[in-house]
Amino acid sequence: MTTTLFVAGMSHRTAPVELRESLALEEDKLREVLAGLAARGVAAELMILSTCNRVEVYGVAEAPGEARAAAFRALGAHRGMTLAALEPHLVATSDEDAIRHAFRVAASLDSLVVGESQILGQVKDAFALAQACRTVGPVLNALMSQAFSVAKRVRTETEIGRLAVSVSSTAVELARKIFGSLEGKAVLLLGAGEVAELAARLLMEGGALPLYVANRTPARARDLAEALAGKAVAFADVPAVMAEVDVVIACTAAPEPIVRVADARAAVQGRRARPLFLIDLGVPRNVEGAVNDLDGVFCYDVDDLQQVVDANRRERQREAQRAEALVEREVGRFLVRLRDVEVVPTIVSLRERLEGIRRGELDKALARLPDATEETRQVLEALSQAIVNKVLHAPIEKLRHSSRAGHGLRWIEVVSEVFGLRRGSGGRDR
Amino acid sequence: MTRALGVNAILYDVALTAYIVAMAAALGHLVRRREGFWRLALVATQAGWLFHTMAIVVRGVELGRLPILTLPEIVSVVIWAAVLLELWAERQYRVRALGAFVLPVVVALGLVLPTGLRSLALEPSIRSAWIWVHVALALLGLAALVLNFAAAVMYLLQERQLKTRRPSAVYYRLPPLETLDRLSHRTLTLGFPFLTAGLLLGVLWAGAAWGSVLAWDPLALFSVLMWLVYAATLAGRTIGRWQGRRAAYFAVAGFGLLLLTLCASVLLQGKHGA
Repeated sequence: MTTTLFVAGMSHRTAPVELRESLALEEDKLREVLAGLAARGVAAELMILSTCNRVEVYGVAEAPGEARAAAFRALGAHRGMTLAALEPHLVATSDEDAIRHAFRVAASLDSLVVGESQILGQVKDAFALAQACRTVGPVLNALMSQAFSVAKRVRTETEIGRLAVSVSSTAVELARKIFGSLEGKAVLLLGAGEVAELAARLLMEGGALPLYVANRTPARARDLAEALAGKAVAFADVPAVMAEVDVVIACTAAPEPIVRVADARAAVQGRRARPLFLIDLGVPRNVEGAVNDLDGVFCYDVDDLQQVVDANRRERQREAQRAEALVEREVGRFLVRLRDVEVVPTIVSLRERLEGIRRGELDKALARLPDATEETRQVLEALSQAIVNKVLHAPIEKLRHSSRAGHGLRWIEVVSEVFGLRRGSGGRDR
Repeated sequence: MTRALGVNAILYDVALTAYIVAMAAALGHLVRRREGFWRLALVATQAGWLFHTMAIVVRGVELGRLPILTLPEIVSVVIWAAVLLELWAERQYRVRALGAFVLPVVVALGLVLPTGLRSLALEPSIRSAWIWVHVALALLGLAALVLNFAAAVMYLLQERQLKTRRPSAVYYRLPPLETLDRLSHRTLTLGFPFLTAGLLLGVLWAGAAWGSVLAWDPLALFSVLMWLVYAATLAGRTIGRWQGRRAAYFAVAGFGLLLLTLCASVLLQGKHGA
């Protein structure tokens, strides 16, 4: 009679990429699988999450093992794979562990790149699909709505998804720490290089505009400017352009620094109160070290950026720990909520049953009192309601307390028996 | 009367205790970044402010006048307004670290208030309707300048982090330089007109009452000095478009003078204090 919440599936931790890829199905196929499983009554509730990194089945069933087997047999069948081939890569958890898993997945703590933001959308899609297929019940509904709120809290209360761990995104993050918004900040790209171009692209995605591109080879500058939707400028004009821009990305192969203290000072003097951020990706350095000493100028070379990347990594680990602690607290909360879910149907039918009796008896009594005044009617109404409430108080309290203490099912049975409620209305089964 | 005074003092102590709790939590949040710390700081600040409000109201009722005549009363209202502004700015600018910088100032001033400062009363010759407007305006200005100071300190810290290129915990907690610069500019533009109007009224009034515009009074002198520093900062920002760092140094200097002004009125006997 009791049902269990379970999660079963494979992820980047347990299965090779070829297997995951071949098992990941398109939406209409998933719809088919869900509908088929639901029609066979394999599980009370079911949801399938299918991404390139994980294929997982979330469900509520009386026999989770059978439900899992049926689900993966159906998933494998679409690709001509037998359950036996999939079984070794499947990991199954239930109850508290399943709840934790659901929260960690949605919050991107179980992702290949921890803190990436795509997974939440994918979980939401999977949930929407299951809702459309009508395979979602009260438990999955509660689980997923809480998983979404956990994911949101992790994203807003920790920096897990925000700290950059690559050189180019770290440079952009530093720009944000200096300028706040990148909207309308002008960028000058000196030279070319993969990291430099990526940083320029990221800055522009953040709203930076315009982008100037300078190169010793004018043709190269033109090509790059075209590719990055920027504007090519002559190398001789660099000092003048530098006075205009907010961010300079230098990445040339010049053996000597090309931005000297005097150049930087001249660039800052004309600008009044706007900081200048120099990202020096050249090895050897393109910007003279002493430039950083100028007021309002911030200069980071490759080593400096690497330092920040390392600091970000350490900070990210601390943030991940905070996120895990947050998930842990939410799991505890959900367990309480789940137990309430368990007894709520019984409480509802108990109320309905007694209310039905009360109404019936009250109508009978009033039928025998045709001359009753409005006042008498009200007194009778209040009297019957008070009796019902007093009778209900003890069993309802008992149900709530026992469910929180973890033995709700026993009391659901007792109460159902004593009050002659419809069996099967209590608990998670439907 | 003495019993009523007790109520006011108790309310004030409760408020101050809440501010101290809030400060500890805000500093804890700055270092450990626990969400709970920030919430605690916010709730304690709000609770402290409510108790503080009650304390001021009770004080006003028992005195039968606005409680901004003696120095302790003035300091009390300054920090009351500063806390209110802090709650607003934290929300407006999304600077969660703000409490960690404003609350220490609030607590320091609040602790000094009952012990270090004697209950100074104004001499009878300067009691007039003007005085209320003068003091009230100056107070609003001072409260904004407490925030101006906090923003400046945060700016200098964050600027140092970015210059040294070795990020520590502070780097992650503090908002962008630009945000801090805007906050300090905003609080200056907010506080300065009030400060100016307040001081101007004082000067005009002093001319009428004492016969001289700049009577030899330490509070008046330091006030003018402080005003000059803030005026220079505002001028530098508007006309010269100063770098945030210079403006921040001036904000710190201005606040130093502000504290000196308060001290001067206690230590040196002038016409403001009797």
